[in-house]
Amino acid sequence: MNELLPANYSGGVYRPADFATLTEALDYAALGNAGLDFYSGKGDLLQTLRYRDLRKQARSLARRMRSAGLAQGERVAILADTDADFVLAFFASQYAGLVPAAMPLPTAFGGKAGYISHIRRMIESSGASAVLSPGALLEMTQEAASGLGLKAAGTLEIFDGFVDDGAPLPEITPQHLSYLQYSSGSTRFPLGVAVTQRALMSNCRAITQHGLKIIATDRCVSWLPFYHDMGLVGFLLVPVTTQMPVDYVATREFARRPMIWPTLISRNGGTLSFSPSFGYDLCARRAASGVRADNLDLSRWRVAGIGGDMIREKVLSNFAESFSPDGFRREAFVASYGMAEATLAISFAPLATGIKTDHVDLDQLEAAAIAEPVKRNGAAGPRSRSFVNCGKVLPGHELEIRDADGNLLGERMAGRVMVRGPSLMQEYFGNHEETSRALSQDGWLDTGDLGYLIGGSLVITGRSKDLILINGRNVWPQDLEWAVEQEVDGVRSGDVAAFSIDEAAAERVVLMAHCRKTNESEREDLRQAIIETIRVRAGLDCEVMLVAPHSLPQTSSGKLSRTQARQFYLSGADGSGAPTNAHRQA
Amino acid sequence: METVGSQIIEVLSSMISSGVPVSDGTRIARDLGLDSVAIMDFVMELEERFDILIPLDQIADVETIHDLTKAIEAIMKDAA
Repeated sequence: MNELLPANYSGGVYRPADFATLTEALDYAALGNAGLDFYSGKGDLLQTLRYRDLRKQARSLARRMRSAGLAQGERVAILADTDADFVLAFFASQYAGLVPAAMPLPTAFGGKAGYISHIRRMIESSGASAVLSPGALLEMTQEAASGLGLKAAGTLEIFDGFVDDGAPLPEITPQHLSYLQYSSGSTRFPLGVAVTQRALMSNCRAITQHGLKIIATDRCVSWLPFYHDMGLVGFLLVPVTTQMPVDYVATREFARRPMIWPTLISRNGGTLSFSPSFGYDLCARRAASGVRADNLDLSRWRVAGIGGDMIREKVLSNFAESFSPDGFRREAFVASYGMAEATLAISFAPLATGIKTDHVDLDQLEAAAIAEPVKRNGAAGPRSRSFVNCGKVLPGHELEIRDADGNLLGERMAGRVMVRGPSLMQEYFGNHEETSRALSQDGWLDTGDLGYLIGGSLVITGRSKDLILINGRNVWPQDLEWAVEQEVDGVRSGDVAAFSIDEAAAERVVLMAHCRKTNESEREDLRQAIIETIRVRAGLDCEVMLVAPHSLPQTSSGKLSRTQARQFYLSGADGSGAPTNAHRQA
Repeated sequence: METVGSQIIEVLSSMISSGVPVSDGTRIARDLGLDSVAIMDFVMELEERFDILIPLDQIADVETIHDLTKAIEAIMKDAA
């Protein structure tokens, strides 16, 4: 067996994402020597796929997919493992004019049934004509697709029997859809963010030329899943548009062996890598427990990006302390803000300056929506909190802060974050109602986030929608509530409210549920059943607060109010004026 | 020679509080009181001990200690 060697960039003139389409970008990257390397959690190089081989194989597969009856514009669902087959299927779809939709992988013990029905709903939502799967998930994939009348369901081998007839591939233009992104929307009602070639290239260009100022010698390392926007766009599509080499390790491998992340950065000279706060946390905690990798050199890591959830200053500080002996510089931290609806990125903090925070009076912020700066550590001072500065909106894009009635707000006034520009999605695929809720007629996206501006730089303070962001994942409270209602005995529809508590240290998930029992052991059984259900169905740890029947707050129209449930929880949790009908148990 | 089942229980016993009973029918995600990070650590321990990789599909398919024992035995047999 020949020893695999990591792919390196060599030769050619560097082009910073100045292409009209993704296929044009790969055509160019294929002229050089760079490519993608896939590592195991133990650091063995498992596969390497140079861009020139990727292009050749993807074009052949594209022709065979067309021979198999898949036509331009049709969708292809691809279960997105971190391997060469996913990348090949994704780029074959680009060349064939098909629209790929990356599907998540199973994560929890015993989560099989829920996973299969989740995949099935996404296949239906995208109206996919085919679903492709890694070999290990073939049976589950076929079960998810059964009865849907797809043209194909299986591994890439299903196209082996079709001939590569050498026929010309369709012309791909900037207005064609490039892919659907399914990280938004609940598992019950999935929403596919539809991104055109033009929007994708616009965002790649802005990231490359302005946000990260990518140069020819950059190299990136990623354990982020391809079914999330940061993994797919940030660490597969941006590298292809910049001819950059990438080192990958699968997300599940990183979760088990977090030290593989700094190890790969050190070994191959990585300069760019991103993670939600929790990835830095996993590494810092592993290092604190005595697991060290020897001879790490993190001095070339120039962009240690953070995005995907609320940025935790303390976590980053712990990471920097743990790894500064290995050459890590805290100035390398780059805060960012973005979402799949804007392809990926909306703003980046300035490079090489580290995390900059704004410390404000929390009472003023909550009561008057004014971000009044206060001094830190004033023990006798007002309640206060730090928020991270995420920098200015990318060039070519506009960002505004508005109040609930849509009025433009000024400096340090907190409100809804609205974005407009060429990187925005075309729609939520096939869903006009949800699209018009998010995108206005004149092209403004309501991000669902709350924040304020300081000198044009964005500071995110929270969310106006109920979405829970945890460990870089978007979790819809409806999914958690529904799982409990379906699976826990004695819990009926409308008996549960799920929400998160955002604290400086972390985001916690709370399930508040009606309880008709008075016996303490029965109450404890209910609490445990809810915790277990959320762990199995969502892979999350939660805490449970039991309340008296009919006490969950409702809106005037009789719908569950998660915002009020959260306030109710907080008023009980700090011991000040806990409502008498809340039997709160820690 | 230790059986796969007894080694699984040995790994678990170092991770869970002593009062928690563990048997073949114990459901891993539900009955052990482990959070999701601890479950990841548990999987890693088993992979190290048996020198195997537990593939994706099996994670979703495994619910009890019994299921896990069978899965690991099958992986080891395939590798042999």
